[in-house]
Amino acid sequence: MHHDNGIWVSTDDLMREEKFLQSAEKEFSIENIAETDGQWTASRRDFLKLLGFGLGAATVAASCEIPLKKAIPYVTKPDEIVPGVANYFASSFVNGGDYCSVLVKTREGRPIKIEGNSLSGVTGGGTSARAQALVLSLYDTRRIKQGGTIENGSVKPLSWSDLDSKIKGQLQLGGQVRIISQTIMSPTAKKALAEFTAKYPNSRVVTYDPVSSAALLSANDQCFGKRAVPSYHFDKADLIVSFGADFLGTWISPVEFARDYAKNRKIRNVKGAKMSRHYQIESHMSLTGSNADNRILVKPSEQGAAIVALYNALTGGSGGPNLNEKAAKAIAKVAAELKNAQGKALVVSDSNNIMEQVYVNKINELLGSYGTTIDFGRASNQRQGDERDMMRLIAEMNSGQVGVVFVWGANPAYELPNSEEFKTAFAKVNTRVSFSGVLDETTLLCNYSAPTHHILESWGDAEPKAGQYSLIQPTIAPLFQTRQAEHSLLEWADSANLNRQDDQPYYQYLKSHWASDLFALQTKYATPTAFWDMSLHDGVFEVPAVESAVTFNPAISLNPSGVTQPANSELEIAFYETANIGGGQYAHNPWLQEMPDPVTRTVWGNYLSIPVSFDGVNNINGWMDLNDGDNVDVEINGKKVTCTVVRNFGQMPGTVSIALGQGRTAGGCGVGYGVDVNPWLPVEGGLIQYFAKDVKVTKTGTVDEHFACVQHHHTMGVQAMGKEEGTVINADEKSLGWKGFQGSLTDRSIIFQTNLDELPKFVAKLDKFHEKSDHLNSQTLYPDRTDVFTAGVHWGMYVDLNACIGCGACQIACVSENNVPVVGKKEVHRHHEMTWLRIDRYFYGDIENPKVVYQPMMCQHCENAPCENVCPVNATNHSMEGFNQMAYNRCIGTRYCANNCPYKVRRFNWLDYTTADVWPANEERVFHVEGDDKPFYADNLTRMVLNPDVTVRTRGVIEKCSFCIQRVQEGKLTAKQEGRAIMDNDVRSACQTACPTGAIVFGNVNNPDSEVSKLKKGALTYLVLEEINVRSNVEYSAKVRNANEELFS
Amino acid sequence: MSQAVAPVRHVLIEGNKSYHNITEDLCVPTEKAPTREWILAFSLSAAFLGLYIFAIVWTVWKGIGEWGANRTINWAWDITNFVWWIGIGHAGTLISAILLLFRQRWRTGVNRAAEAMTIFAVICAGQFPIFHMGRVWLAFFIFPFPNTRGPLWVNFNSPLLWDVFAISTYFSVSLLFWYTGLVPDLATVRDRASGFRRKMYEIFSFGWTGSAKHWQRWEALSLVLAGISTPLVLSVHTIVSFDFATSVVPGWHTTIFPPYFVAGAIFSGFAMVQTLMVITRKVLKLEQYITINHIESMNKVIVLTGTIVGVAYLTELFIAWYSGYVYEQFAFYNRVFGIYWWSYFGMMFCNVVSPQLFWVRSIRRSIWWTFFLSIVVNVGMWFERFVIIATTLARDFLPSSWSYYSPTWVEISIFVGTIGLFFFCYLIFTRVAPVVAIAEVKSILKVAGDQYIGPDAKPHHHDHGHAKVEAKKTDD
Repeated sequence: MHHDNGIWVSTDDLMREEKFLQSAEKEFSIENIAETDGQWTASRRDFLKLLGFGLGAATVAASCEIPLKKAIPYVTKPDEIVPGVANYFASSFVNGGDYCSVLVKTREGRPIKIEGNSLSGVTGGGTSARAQALVLSLYDTRRIKQGGTIENGSVKPLSWSDLDSKIKGQLQLGGQVRIISQTIMSPTAKKALAEFTAKYPNSRVVTYDPVSSAALLSANDQCFGKRAVPSYHFDKADLIVSFGADFLGTWISPVEFARDYAKNRKIRNVKGAKMSRHYQIESHMSLTGSNADNRILVKPSEQGAAIVALYNALTGGSGGPNLNEKAAKAIAKVAAELKNAQGKALVVSDSNNIMEQVYVNKINELLGSYGTTIDFGRASNQRQGDERDMMRLIAEMNSGQVGVVFVWGANPAYELPNSEEFKTAFAKVNTRVSFSGVLDETTLLCNYSAPTHHILESWGDAEPKAGQYSLIQPTIAPLFQTRQAEHSLLEWADSANLNRQDDQPYYQYLKSHWASDLFALQTKYATPTAFWDMSLHDGVFEVPAVESAVTFNPAISLNPSGVTQPANSELEIAFYETANIGGGQYAHNPWLQEMPDPVTRTVWGNYLSIPVSFDGVNNINGWMDLNDGDNVDVEINGKKVTCTVVRNFGQMPGTVSIALGQGRTAGGCGVGYGVDVNPWLPVEGGLIQYFAKDVKVTKTGTVDEHFACVQHHHTMGVQAMGKEEGTVINADEKSLGWKGFQGSLTDRSIIFQTNLDELPKFVAKLDKFHEKSDHLNSQTLYPDRTDVFTAGVHWGMYVDLNACIGCGACQIACVSENNVPVVGKKEVHRHHEMTWLRIDRYFYGDIENPKVVYQPMMCQHCENAPCENVCPVNATNHSMEGFNQMAYNRCIGTRYCANNCPYKVRRFNWLDYTTADVWPANEERVFHVEGDDKPFYADNLTRMVLNPDVTVRTRGVIEKCSFCIQRVQEGKLTAKQEGRAIMDNDVRSACQTACPTGAIVFGNVNNPDSEVSKLKKGALTYLVLEEINVRSNVEYSAKVRNANEELFS
Repeated sequence: MSQAVAPVRHVLIEGNKSYHNITEDLCVPTEKAPTREWILAFSLSAAFLGLYIFAIVWTVWKGIGEWGANRTINWAWDITNFVWWIGIGHAGTLISAILLLFRQRWRTGVNRAAEAMTIFAVICAGQFPIFHMGRVWLAFFIFPFPNTRGPLWVNFNSPLLWDVFAISTYFSVSLLFWYTGLVPDLATVRDRASGFRRKMYEIFSFGWTGSAKHWQRWEALSLVLAGISTPLVLSVHTIVSFDFATSVVPGWHTTIFPPYFVAGAIFSGFAMVQTLMVITRKVLKLEQYITINHIESMNKVIVLTGTIVGVAYLTELFIAWYSGYVYEQFAFYNRVFGIYWWSYFGMMFCNVVSPQLFWVRSIRRSIWWTFFLSIVVNVGMWFERFVIIATTLARDFLPSSWSYYSPTWVEISIFVGTIGLFFFCYLIFTRVAPVVAIAEVKSILKVAGDQYIGPDAKPHHHDHGHAKVEAKKTDD
């Protein structure tokens, strides 16, 4: 290698070193790239090998992290499924006596949303929060996957044929057979039950309702010979008197009642405006009471006395139990008014005392309500249960006569006040079969599980009111190995009418029942098939109401000693049902648990409502100086339970109240929240009473660390007596800070309210406010952009505060439509709730008996949106059509927009609530159902409820109401395809369609014919915070009450 | 060069220093092995810095939900701390730029440390806007850069974006100004160093030789940077105040905010300078450079700005009442008497009442009083930002959304952690660079030297009017 030309490559070369010469002979030296310590050498090939391996290993390791998701195409695509296009199926939401006719929206075969069915004569397109939440319960991970025997708290699967033979074997033993059920409204199910009882003559159906209306049924039986709930027409009543009946929230048929009620409450024209008047007599602030024009406070035990007092005042009679003086005076005035409202009055009561209901019937009879505001022609089937039957069953079971018990839709081990007795007796039954879809308290005590379908997987029908039929059709194939309870019963009854060869035997059974029994009731369709098809399409089938005049049984004697006698106890407690959780049937639905109680605004649990009072100086104090979130021991009848307190305006002094339905111990996400109050319910004459006396409350000194209430400040100008005699001051304003600042709340332009008799004066005041705001808003440097807002399509909303009853259906509809995550109690406690639409609730008026206004609050889509100009990255911006839009992908989460939002409607994803993120370490912080290791949304089953049209937001971004932009887009496409301008019906927001009272109207404000543009012209409309010139697109209509201001004077 | 100084004025450097003494005194701290106090302080700062990193990782990993902020109070400790730190930085810029323009020669004793403080404070401040983001990994979205998303630009209307520009400008100009001042001093250290240290200082002093041309350019650059910095003193906090002033929230939407924020920033900045100087001069034995006269001068600025801030507070209250607008009135009523009344009274006491003690000469000239009150003022200024941010948000337009805020351990750790970060940087600074600007101090010694008659007086072969360049060269 050494060249004579004097070129050398190194000193070794120059010196002709041996080592160099050796290495020079090899063309490829490995020394340069490998360690040569004798142990490990690597060639270039090795390097390539290692590189390849490394790359491969890295690839494999990296791909392990990515979950495999399969998208399997249809082999044969069903005709009706077009990917991306929703299908709607008419069906019914039925849970015991709860009913709502619905349309189920499905996407690619998944039910994802409930809409109201406007064809229904009962619910008329309205829905309830309970109905809206139905879809989520379908995808409950706690559902029993397959029937079988129940051992050690879990189901040991058996095939249906094995289970059938076992149960049939037990039935053949000849013992007494009982079927425990809630109200059954289905004629076909009743037919199936009849077949079953015919096959096993020693069997009987025992029906009770989670919240009883047994006294009402018995009273009607006694008075009119009809054991039924009549039809109440709140729309035909000018004067409504309700003794504790929460008819807008929970009582019998709230969706129907709310719709009727609102008809007489909306004010379209100020001139000659008319409204019904509504008196509510109660101790705690119920949803209905909060909507009443006047509330008359009576202790729960005085309810009977109040009814008798009204009767006496109407008839001029005397006697009866004592009533507090204030209430007695007020009731006399109510009676005087009632006398003038003959034929236009309606008196209702939720009392579970037969004599009280007889009195109410008599009062209604005196007022000529039967045939006008009440009718039996459309008698309701929504409450049929009688807990006395259950009491009898417990005795039967105790005596050992009962061999087999089927539990269908009921949960007596939780719901009954004497559930302990029930459990003991139940254990004596040999064969206990549950149809429940989850392992609830009663199912855990059974030895067989024969899970029925979820309602969205079922065939069925319902007759909520006489002659008003409704169909239930499956919107998804059963997710699990479940079988419909009716099918099981027919199977075990060896029914000849059940075509076992068919794919869906119960479907055929149902269809043939409709062909045989209902087809004949109509003449419109010539063939049973046409009739069935149309009924299934419409979801409802209605026959004209039968005139049904009733006469009051003259043999009935009214005896004031039969009503509840007022107690002398210092403290009484009322137990009430909430619009979301009911008697506990809905406690396992996270959406409903996280829906704030309309009145107390608390979530995830039940809280003891205590009265508040003003000390005349500065402080609004809770009773016993208790504060929100304090724990107290409540002792009733020797049973002591620790409850958490919430201070509640409108709670009568000397009374407290707490909701039913919480403190569940088994079956789903509700476990571990609230307390079970059922054991406290007294039973009188076999009837469960929803109040108790002799209540002892003692402080514990502890607090609920996660007390979850979405609203900390509750009032907007509640008045109380000042310290000096005769001075009325705004107590809540006094309580704000050091000495208070009068006007700090009442002068806000958030809520406008007035009384009907002051309407003209109020309109003048409102006009002045508009004028002032316009003046302020015109003082701007920026050019007027009205021409932009008035061009083309412009979306807006109108919210009628007079029609809004605060029921919360819109809120759940919004959660369902927009994939709003559930965050759990702890996060709500930290005010991290995610709801896009909330219902603000403000108290005003007399501090001890305040009035309430509900205000649905969602993004106001301001034209001059303060959120938009502060976003540093343009993640939120304005559309030409008036939307304030969010680009989630662009959002970096500075939260500046949320700070600058005057309405505080923007929601930040504080944590990985939807588990959409890639950081597994943060999963533990988000909502888990107790006992689950995966977060609530991490399960693929749960995620099936997500609306594919709406992005699931990740951690760290802001979200808010979009005015259901996906619906707008869909509506626009429809209009475009049909080559026409967009119309009102093309686009309806989720909250709008959910509302039972039509309080929310959405549409194109630039179309003079649209409903929203007409409504916005009303004299009572205003923008919240109109004077800050954000030019919001949501217009509110002022709250008007028809209160009797003289009632207590 | 010779400056007319009234003989009644105190000398700016005490102890009859010669140029050599100055070099010795100021370079020695960078050359000696660290003292025990330094190691202790440094370990403590490092520990807090560790806590800071832990809390930040925790926040990014788990989510902002680990903080106590909520749907109503979306900003709380994060932005409070941000504004607080930014404010603290202001004294450095004021001293180096505005006092330079005002020919306040006493500033030379403190400007280096104050500028360093500015830089470290801005670093601390910058942490908050970054890590308060829900998706910090997308933080680059806030920079206007050409992109393939449309291109999608940032929102130039957003005060938060102005912040980005204001703070990045502020940081870069301050850093340049500070470093420019450092160059000759680093060269001085270099000349005394050997081995690796010398190598490093050689790099960092950019090959400074002290030639006349170097000094000429150096002076020109310093002047230019002082010119750029001067408006920044006013603009940065003005823009920070726009975050609030341009919003619609009652209590934020106030035109008084820009001057009020600037005054507050200078106020808190001087307080922080005092806190640091009082310790530094003691520990590094620089009492003769940072004299009681310096401290007194700065206390005068504190009492002035504290009073301005006080006037602003009262003006706010007056305007709220005068506005006749219920939301505005309530917002301020609530500030004073609402749920966070203690923070308002804390603010009022610390910022308005406590600095008034500086009217008393003996307190103004007391090291202990100064130190104590500087801490009180810093606490007060923190309260001020908390009052403005959290209290205002907690009670805004809709009573239904009113809420309460209290911090979690994560937020507390982040705040305490940034103090660790600050001192971590500051302590390193005291070890690597002269904490008093050697070159600039020497320039005033010359002036003071007119009266210089001390026993160690060295005969000097240069006239007073000659260029200092040579003087330094010989002395070093």
